[in-house]
Amino acid sequence: MSLLNIYLRFWQVNWAEQWQYRANLLMYLFYWLVSPVVYLSVWVSIANSQGSVRGLTANDFITYYLTLLIVDQLTSEITIHLIAYNIQDGTLAGELLRPVHPIFTRAVIDNLAFKALNLMAFVPIWAVLFGLFRPDYAGVTPGSVLLALPAVVLGFALNFLMGATVTCMAFWTTRVYSVSQFINLVVILLSGQFVPLQLMPPIVQQTAQFLPFQMLRYVPIEIILNRLPLQDVWVDYAVSLAWLVILFFIFRRAWAEGTKHFSSVGA
Amino acid sequence: MTQTIEASFLTKTYQVSEREGGFAAAVGGFFKRKFKDVHAVQGVSFKIEPGEVVGFLGPNGAGKTTTLKMLSGLLHPTSGQARVLGFTPWERKHDYLRAMTLVMGQRSRLSWDIPAADSFLLNQAIYRLEDAQFKQTLKELDDLLELSPLMKKPVRNLSLGERMKVELAAGLLHRPRVLFLDEPTIGLDITAQAHIREFLKEYNRRTGATVLLTSHYMADVTALCERVILIHHGRLKYDGSLNDLSHRIAPFKLIGVALGSPCPCDLSLYGTPVASDGDDEEQAGSKQYVQVPAAQAAAITARMLADLPIHDLTIEDPPIEDVIERAFAE
Repeated sequence: MSLLNIYLRFWQVNWAEQWQYRANLLMYLFYWLVSPVVYLSVWVSIANSQGSVRGLTANDFITYYLTLLIVDQLTSEITIHLIAYNIQDGTLAGELLRPVHPIFTRAVIDNLAFKALNLMAFVPIWAVLFGLFRPDYAGVTPGSVLLALPAVVLGFALNFLMGATVTCMAFWTTRVYSVSQFINLVVILLSGQFVPLQLMPPIVQQTAQFLPFQMLRYVPIEIILNRLPLQDVWVDYAVSLAWLVILFFIFRRAWAEGTKHFSSVGA
Repeated sequence: MTQTIEASFLTKTYQVSEREGGFAAAVGGFFKRKFKDVHAVQGVSFKIEPGEVVGFLGPNGAGKTTTLKMLSGLLHPTSGQARVLGFTPWERKHDYLRAMTLVMGQRSRLSWDIPAADSFLLNQAIYRLEDAQFKQTLKELDDLLELSPLMKKPVRNLSLGERMKVELAAGLLHRPRVLFLDEPTIGLDITAQAHIREFLKEYNRRTGATVLLTSHYMADVTALCERVILIHHGRLKYDGSLNDLSHRIAPFKLIGVALGSPCPCDLSLYGTPVASDGDDEEQAGSKQYVQVPAAQAAAITARMLADLPIHDLTIEDPPIEDVIERAFAE
């Protein structure tokens, strides 16, 4: 009986549960699709009317946002929605008495299982968008996609640890969702979700290079589209790996303190 | 052999914020919150040997659940120590968690949306149980609890009694050596209560597991526990056998007599007349009870038999509920 088996069982339970709420799943997907598609349409019409925006053509925007939809789907995470209410209503207690870490087992698997279910509905929707916007993916090569895979995994890992750390705040406050909303805003601006980072003011671009957020969307997208010099790719990987270690320790501390607090106020 | 459970001077104090009702108090509370210490458990010590089944009794708010949560590892104590199977519970070492279980009658640990069978398989993986062992335990639990018809229904569709059965089974699949049970029969009808009780008795006999259980139903305690620990206002009031408790707190017997023919007999000549046991309504009409000192029960009985036209006579211990109530009232 291995860890893999634990993951497999969690996955089965998750799908069995999710299946009961499939309408909810679809609504979430449509909600999540709206803003990137709106950004895409706006920028494409601006680029079309001006020829280009700071060197980015309409096709650059189309490829960027359509790739964003895929990358976002892969790197996004929902830990706060999985765990925070368990902390607040005390049901986490049962999980704390099981010999597995709730975050590194259930939360990871629930995130991945949710992603996998979402993808089933997402693929046809993406195909429709592809048909509507007709992107020219001439720059993309098998090599660029391959090089982006670790970036996507890293992006998810970073995002997951950030989400898990914010979730830990639920041990102290019931208003954890507003903290999460605020962080989400920072992520939207600094990850390249709102606009490609090259359209942001230089100071923002330079700051973003030293932060973990750009690995969530911008870096994987640019690697896939083959627009990032290889040297920059390695630097971005190095920065992100450093953040992964830092975030891991921050999360571990937050979880230890949080569960201790949970246990002191009356689990 | 060393103790399975050892608590020494376990203490838990909660800090709770409090304020008066009303807008002004709400605004005031925003700037300066007032806290009050609630002493849930105060210096409780006891030892439990391997295989013992101990009843942990006390009125609501006495500190039973808090103690159980500290011993299972869910709560950090404010002070004091505890060792369970050689582990410090609140460190929540995985080896410890694999060896114990906490089942709470009022809180479900199963996923409501899926059948219990799926949750059992998840537990098999989490506790790393080999297939053969898992199947064997499940079969045993099925024999004792008649789980088969319940396993395939989503947990939300089970009745309270059925849910308690699968909850217990889920908590026992990994064959824990220590069971902490917090009101395992709460809300169940008499038959279901009896079922769970029988099951726990049999489980303890078969596996030699150590059990510490709280319950408001004295029938649970009398059926399962030779030893009881009484806790009141967070402090230990009594630790010992149920019989001793009866003798110490209520050293009297109840003599019940059914008189053969109506007679204007004055039973207060023999002892203190008491209202008959409400549970036994059939007899209640015909039988009258007097409470007498235990040491004189035999002599008084002899006198009554000589003096009165007695049709039927019983000598009973006082109901355990009364004994416990007296203990807490002291």
